Amino acid sequence: MANKTVLVAQREYLENVRTKTFWIGILIVPILIGLSVGATALLQRFKQTQRYTVLDLGGADLLARAEREFRSGDTKVLFDLARTMQDDPQLASLRQQLGPGGGATEPGAEQLLATFEWMQRQPPELLDRLAKLQTAGLYHYVPLAALGIDGADDSAREHQLNQRVQKGELFAYFVLGKAPNEDTKDFRYVSNNLTDDALRSAYASALTRLVQKDRIQQAGIAPAVAKKIQERVEFQAKQVDASGATADVKKENVIDKWAPMGFVYFLWLAIFSIANLLLTNTIEEKGNRTIEVLLSSVSPGQLMQGKIWGIAATGMTIVGTWVGFGLLAAWIAPTLLGMPVDGGGMLAALFTALRNSGYLLAFVFYFLGGFLLYAAVLVAIGSVCNTLKEAQNLMQPVMMVLMVPLLSMVFVTQEPNGIVARVMSWVPLFTPFTMMNRAGGPPAVWEYVGTSLLLLVTIWLAMKGAGKIFRVGVLMTGNPPKLKEIFGWLRQS
Amino acid sequence: MEHALTLDGVTKRFGSFTAVADLSLQVPKGCIYGFLGQNGAGKTTTIRMVMSIFHPDSGTLSVLGHPDAAQVKDRLGYLPEEKGLYKKMKTAEIVAYFGKLKGMDRSTANQRAKELLTRYGLGDWLDKRCEAMSKGMGQKVQVLGTIIHEPELVILDEPFSGLDPVNRDLMRDLILDMKRQGRTVIFSTHGMEHAEQICDYVMMIHKSKLQFAGTLSQVKQGRDLGIQLDYDGDGSVLQQLPGAERVNDHGKHAEIFLHRGEDPQQALRWLVDHVTVRRFDYREPSLHEIFVRTVDEANQKLAAAGGER
Repeated sequence: MANKTVLVAQREYLENVRTKTFWIGILIVPILIGLSVGATALLQRFKQTQRYTVLDLGGADLLARAEREFRSGDTKVLFDLARTMQDDPQLASLRQQLGPGGGATEPGAEQLLATFEWMQRQPPELLDRLAKLQTAGLYHYVPLAALGIDGADDSAREHQLNQRVQKGELFAYFVLGKAPNEDTKDFRYVSNNLTDDALRSAYASALTRLVQKDRIQQAGIAPAVAKKIQERVEFQAKQVDASGATADVKKENVIDKWAPMGFVYFLWLAIFSIANLLLTNTIEEKGNRTIEVLLSSVSPGQLMQGKIWGIAATGMTIVGTWVGFGLLAAWIAPTLLGMPVDGGGMLAALFTALRNSGYLLAFVFYFLGGFLLYAAVLVAIGSVCNTLKEAQNLMQPVMMVLMVPLLSMVFVTQEPNGIVARVMSWVPLFTPFTMMNRAGGPPAVWEYVGTSLLLLVTIWLAMKGAGKIFRVGVLMTGNPPKLKEIFGWLRQS
Repeated sequence: MEHALTLDGVTKRFGSFTAVADLSLQVPKGCIYGFLGQNGAGKTTTIRMVMSIFHPDSGTLSVLGHPDAAQVKDRLGYLPEEKGLYKKMKTAEIVAYFGKLKGMDRSTANQRAKELLTRYGLGDWLDKRCEAMSKGMGQKVQVLGTIIHEPELVILDEPFSGLDPVNRDLMRDLILDMKRQGRTVIFSTHGMEHAEQICDYVMMIHKSKLQFAGTLSQVKQGRDLGIQLDYDGDGSVLQQLPGAERVNDHGKHAEIFLHRGEDPQQALRWLVDHVTVRRFDYREPSLHEIFVRTVDEANQKLAAAGGER
């Protein structure tokens, strides 16, 4: 008898997998992702260098200093910071090169990249400065003289500049005020591009540093004192290790905490798209009128189970292919795009995290559990509808339920053993997502066992109910039944 | 006599609607049995009960000696009224798939599917997808899928609907082949000529109730004889034939029933004067006439019963 279920599943699987559209559909996702990533990177690279100029009303050397600060000021800030990170082993070689014996005094490309990597582990405020540093490379300073703008009259010069901006010859120009040490009311940024704000904000922070420095000097405050006053409070991130001592946060530990979120998202995507496949498949089969022939050979239960397993296998193929592409991309993309990210290292860390915590095993279990539970619901919906349009109305509540684990994903990751996470774990419709989500916690063993048992019992009940609805539903034509009628079928033995 | 199928007082209701009422019937082994009736009369519901897709509310069934078709599924062949194929599957594959679902092993099913398709003129289509086939071919493939496992009892719901004359003949030959091989065939139809040509037995349901059942000659026995007329000319004049009770005019062919005591010879003379007579026969009524008359009478009875209330 079970043999017939296998036959149905096999046919279902082959029919899906053998079509060209199936493989196009599978490949289109990684291709689209690859294109969007690659395109962004390429666009960044080919972004047109914008020309700007600076009109200095003050006449002092502020213009020249501003330009120098804008070009290299942030680099120095970062570099100084990097040098102070005495206990960072990653920067050891860098320190050596920059040390007394190293010979280098200015950071080169290699040092910048090392700084960049280190920066990614730093507070967002610093990352912001880094972004501004990168901004400088995208804009090209053209002196007024090179633009052919002269004359002593400021308003006449501004008028000429405005014309350049209007014609599109100039992206923007800055006006530096007469007395920067007194006030900044004459400082202006003139451009017709209202969306690209990077130049304005980067230039502003460079000038802020300059003006602050000048004013400190003017006020007669010693640089050391000023530095002390301006110092920001930074918290060093630490964690408690197994022995109970305070320890540094390692790369793998961070991945450990955030990996579940990635898995939940992937789980959600997999369950959602595959369950949807089951829904459309059931409706299609009703439409092509093969159901009744099949029912003369197999029982409705066998037919339903066969479909569910066939689609599950199809889904595993899709997910497997995507995972394969993802891994491939992680290895190849950095070299392909010439990105300095150490893909292998990150991946190795990810794999270690996977092996240690049994994520993959949990993922497969929760994928099957979640899929079977939602499959039961969707196959029941599919069996009572004749068109996708009808099904969409019935799908709405299911979609709302499915959104909950997605919306609570970040929250549960941050508080894996909080009351919300614990309660959600015991709602079978959320169990696969929430328990996967909490893996960073991790929850107590009894919670794993209890929620899994509840999930399995619920799946069994849902399958039974779906079987009853399927039995009546697949042979129905006309309007979909009312909820009351469906409950009536469920009560029938 | 052994029966392939026995129904005893079978009733099926859907809510307040009675689809089949107190139906009793015996289908002898090895015969071709026609289920007649208008659309919605209860034929398909009866067949679905026989196939255990529906369960009767009361009454009992015996299919090949078992109370439930599910127990003998692999010995039954069923072609439902709603016919469909998996469009993306190849013809040989789908016929074999139906065989495997009936418990045949893989290689036998594959081999037999090819044999059957070749024998019934679809040898060139073995590797073509079902979506490429015409309706007639598709229906043939479906019937072959129904009989690939050599079932003892074959039930075909409206096997002739939508077929052109050539394919109708093919379908008829297929059914006759099955009988020759010793199988029992039940089919439903509203094409009376098919029933008349090939059925050993017929039954008719009207509005859920059995009207008659038996061999063709049993069903025709005792009914008024009628004139079978082939003619050329204006058929509208036939309605004016003196002494005619009913005229079923088909354009070139007409079936005419006279009032009791009227002489068919007189009618023939009148006809010769008014149309060109090609053939004149005075004999038992056609199944078509019996069908139409039964519907009329049953409706009158129902109306009368409604009026008395």
